[in-house]
Amino acid sequence: MMTMRRTNKRSLVQTCICLTVLLAIGLWLSLFTGVAAIPLQTVLKQWSLAEPSKELLIFQTIRLPRAVLGALIGANLAVAGALMQAITRNPLASPQVFGVNAGASLVVVLAILFLPSIGSANLIYFAFAGAILGGFTVLGFASSRGMTNLKIALVGMAVHLLLTSITKGLIIYNEHISDVMFWLSGSISGATWADVRMILPWSVLGLALAAGLAGSLSVFRLGEEVAMGLGQKIVVVRLLACAAIVILGGASVAVAGAVGFIGLMIPHIARKLVGTDYRAVIFVSAWGGAVLVTYSDVVARLISFPFESPVGIVTALLGTPFFLYLARKKGRELV
Amino acid sequence: MSKKSRFRQWGHLAWSLALACAVVLTGCGSSETKNQAASQDSAQAAQKRTIKHELGETEITGEPKRVVALEFSFVDALWELGVTPVGIAHEKETDVEGLLGQKIEYTSVGTRQQPNLEVISTLKPDLIIGDLNRHKDIYKELQKIAPTIILKSRNSTYQENLSSFTTIGEALNKQKEAEQRLVKHKAVIDELKKNIPAGDSRTVMLGVFRADSLSAHGAKSFDGELLEMVGIKNAIQDAAEPTVKISLEQMVQWDPDVIFLVEADDTLLSEWKQNPLWNNITAVKNKEVYQVNRDLWTRYRGLKSAEKIVTEASEILYSKKK
Repeated sequence: MMTMRRTNKRSLVQTCICLTVLLAIGLWLSLFTGVAAIPLQTVLKQWSLAEPSKELLIFQTIRLPRAVLGALIGANLAVAGALMQAITRNPLASPQVFGVNAGASLVVVLAILFLPSIGSANLIYFAFAGAILGGFTVLGFASSRGMTNLKIALVGMAVHLLLTSITKGLIIYNEHISDVMFWLSGSISGATWADVRMILPWSVLGLALAAGLAGSLSVFRLGEEVAMGLGQKIVVVRLLACAAIVILGGASVAVAGAVGFIGLMIPHIARKLVGTDYRAVIFVSAWGGAVLVTYSDVVARLISFPFESPVGIVTALLGTPFFLYLARKKGRELV
Repeated sequence: MSKKSRFRQWGHLAWSLALACAVVLTGCGSSETKNQAASQDSAQAAQKRTIKHELGETEITGEPKRVVALEFSFVDALWELGVTPVGIAHEKETDVEGLLGQKIEYTSVGTRQQPNLEVISTLKPDLIIGDLNRHKDIYKELQKIAPTIILKSRNSTYQENLSSFTTIGEALNKQKEAEQRLVKHKAVIDELKKNIPAGDSRTVMLGVFRADSLSAHGAKSFDGELLEMVGIKNAIQDAAEPTVKISLEQMVQWDPDVIFLVEADDTLLSEWKQNPLWNNITAVKNKEVYQVNRDLWTRYRGLKSAEKIVTEASEILYSKKK
């Protein structure tokens, strides 16, 4: 037990140093990649000028919020996924199963349809409300007469399908709102400081909640009976974890649409790196998610430069080989 | 991913239901027309023509009279060639009147994105014209209702739209009329071109503002290519696609001198206007941002719309100048 904890600790420290370096490089690339060439000297020289140049304005009002937002939603989605996988003990669980994406999509489409005069800033709150609605619908149905993992998964899928089919139906019969599909497919190319300000408090709340639950979740993974035997309040932990998932997933979907794969793979990778202690897994997941989305967003700008591709495509492209590499490495270690 | 495939499954179910209806309906109708068809067999055999289109070849007999058009540019082409389509796919009530400039009798066959196969089959058409971009996946189903040709319209260039016009002429057995109309079209455009002085170095951005994105029409889009042809330079030259989504950073960097703007939704536009970068764009600085009609500039396409677009553009760019 002692030795195991020590190796975990050492690999946790190593992993964190690695991820921090990677994130720093990623943010640097993110800030200095784009159609406009912005030399570092320009940024440094003009930072405090009263009348900033075009380059500095691009840096301050477009590149910076975009980099921050990418890292933030990466952390959110990865931690939401880690929580999800912990409480369902299902490695394939992701915020999607919680009806978060589908709920957000539906409420946004409804808002555009019936309240056409609302601005985009408000639209984001509708998305957030929808994410919560989707999440709590799943929770509500799954918790009646005892919540089990299987029930969460089944109810989640059913609710997801129902909400998605309503959204698709609305879009078919109202072609002018199909524009919104671009947002739904996941992109942070239009990130603003307003977006960052909007999700920051929710991110902090969700991440803090996740960190607080981490200890209990480690026990949770051993199974319900064991957890109960060790004195865990299963229902409370599960409810709080669900609330954190809805907050983290909902806030991310609200500003960036559905950026896939992060919540599914990053926690998986985190567990392979630092073991099954959820205090470490959640911490590493947050870093890892931030790294992955940051790099993906840089690549999204380069694939068809000078035009942009959706970041969601890149997360899948980048993530798959990474996952295969880890799976192989693990395999070799076992031999 | 999974969302898409699930949706496709529902789509399949819907189509198979629609198809079942279509089969029943055509079954009812065919017995009546059989005798008639037999008597005219020899005459029509001579007129049997094979029309090459985007998804293969379709045999068309005689001169189709009952035509269903699933894109606005096809409606325009049919109208120009003297055929009033019996069925039209459209979204707004005003679409067809706006396109043709007058009211006509037709049956609505659903939206362009999701035409109603059941309604189409009840019209007993003898020709269906679909769009490659939107109707590729239902080509087989349409073909079972009536001879169908699939042509380029949406997300296609001006030249591709012209060749679609030529193919429609062939399909209607009105090659000569189509050729004459194209000659006339070219003359109209050439005449309009005279209003546009050569050597204007201003670049023009055609942008559709939506709730969350700016969709810019580059030099390969229908309107972009058309305007390039008459000497109006497009701000986006090297896009692989006819339309591209662009960010404020790209907008500022490519810095158009004139913006022809379609405001489908003011959400993003008002957000951009708050950014000091917006006022850095030359077109904004020089107050050369002009609202244009979304239907005409981005939805209708076709010959008449092309002529109107060039007229409007030259009016905006040159007659309003001091």
